[in-house]
Amino acid sequence: MTQSKNTVTTHWDDIFDAVERGYELGWTDGLPVIPPTTDRVAAFLAAAHCAPGEIIGELPERRRIITADKVAANAVMAGCRPEYLTVVLAAAAAMLAPEFNLVGPSSSMGGAAILAIVNGPIAQELNINSRNNLFGPGNRANATIGRALRLVLMNACAAIPGLFDRSVIGHPGKYTYCIAEADTETHWTPLHVERGFPPGQSAVTVFAAEGPRQVRSVGRPDAILYAIADVASSLGTSLSTSGSVGDPEQGIRQGEIAVTIAGSSSLWQDWSKADVRSYLHAHIRRSAADLKRAQVFAGEIEPADEQNYLTLIPSPDDILLIFAGGEESNMSSVIPSWGPKVASAAVTKEINR
Amino acid sequence: MPEYTLLNPTTEPLIAPFDGAPRLPTLAGARLGIIDDSKRNADVLLEELAETLRTRYEIAGVQWHRKPSASRPADPSAIAALAKDCDAVVIAIGD
Repeated sequence: MTQSKNTVTTHWDDIFDAVERGYELGWTDGLPVIPPTTDRVAAFLAAAHCAPGEIIGELPERRRIITADKVAANAVMAGCRPEYLTVVLAAAAAMLAPEFNLVGPSSSMGGAAILAIVNGPIAQELNINSRNNLFGPGNRANATIGRALRLVLMNACAAIPGLFDRSVIGHPGKYTYCIAEADTETHWTPLHVERGFPPGQSAVTVFAAEGPRQVRSVGRPDAILYAIADVASSLGTSLSTSGSVGDPEQGIRQGEIAVTIAGSSSLWQDWSKADVRSYLHAHIRRSAADLKRAQVFAGEIEPADEQNYLTLIPSPDDILLIFAGGEESNMSSVIPSWGPKVASAAVTKEINR
Repeated sequence: MPEYTLLNPTTEPLIAPFDGAPRLPTLAGARLGIIDDSKRNADVLLEELAETLRTRYEIAGVQWHRKPSASRPADPSAIAALAKDCDAVVIAIGD
């Protein structure tokens, strides 16, 4: 193999040899990758109407500039179709935005993955799954768009396990973590519209996050939300650790949370997203006594601590509410942020190529 | 065997050449800067260090900067102020 800065010239006889080359070059996430031949990368860039040298973002702490050709090469390797690149580019730009502070979630012991949530017409055009098996396998767009972002992180952003990525345990979403909101199947306002984009616009939201915690609950909406709030209030998440709790005057010291709710929209006909968020904000809380038992707070437990509840989410707006999942209304998920907003906040970017 | 050209998906750091600051001949009378990353116990560690340097080397003073989050890089204006006002800076993390 010969290598210049931007290309590698190599040989292979068959597809097995080609796959091995990806491992030899150290470019994989552990699974086989498709070789990013310059022709294939050029086809991807053409599909996205994007010049190879276009700067998608910068990672100043690691002295890196991320150009479109690097994102495209990683999308090829992940198994994307050329038309997916527009989503990958927008998501990459979002995670390189200053408020996302990629250097934090991509290096931290906390082991975040980058959840990408796609809204708008492109979700249907590209068949990005928003329903059954939401976080599961079996759909090319979800699997490869999420994987492309991980490969961009590893290859272009140097978030290599053991080097800059210091996750203690991480989670399976670090292989791939991409969903769409079923925004045409609900009366709820789509996530990207709530975040300031017009309904006809496609957009992607990135969120540095822990893994999804499945919430099994059936019944009335308030019963479902009670269970969701209970799971979201557990000790041991980023939301209930020291540094995040107990400083209500500084909301940025607390985190965000994503909640997916599945099923039929009609069950929620009397509830708006704002209603759901308001309920969850009030009920995602923990007593000062419990926080002391877990040494989140220091000090002896006083009798009043048992009834002194602290909310774990700074405001209802810090709940990313997503209508997605299978058509049965008995499974929701709770996805705590990796850290407080000051360390990384969710970012939405338009997809407009 | 057929030849293929691959686009390298990795990046290299872009670092302009620079010279490190000269080492101090002594800490006696030096103005010390501290960057506290705001993780739990960082302040405990750094306060003890500052006290030790005060008594052992008679440093002239301590300028303290606490970051709002361990995950955020230090504010460039804070770095500029430390560079202007201090002879040496200690950076440490807690946990």
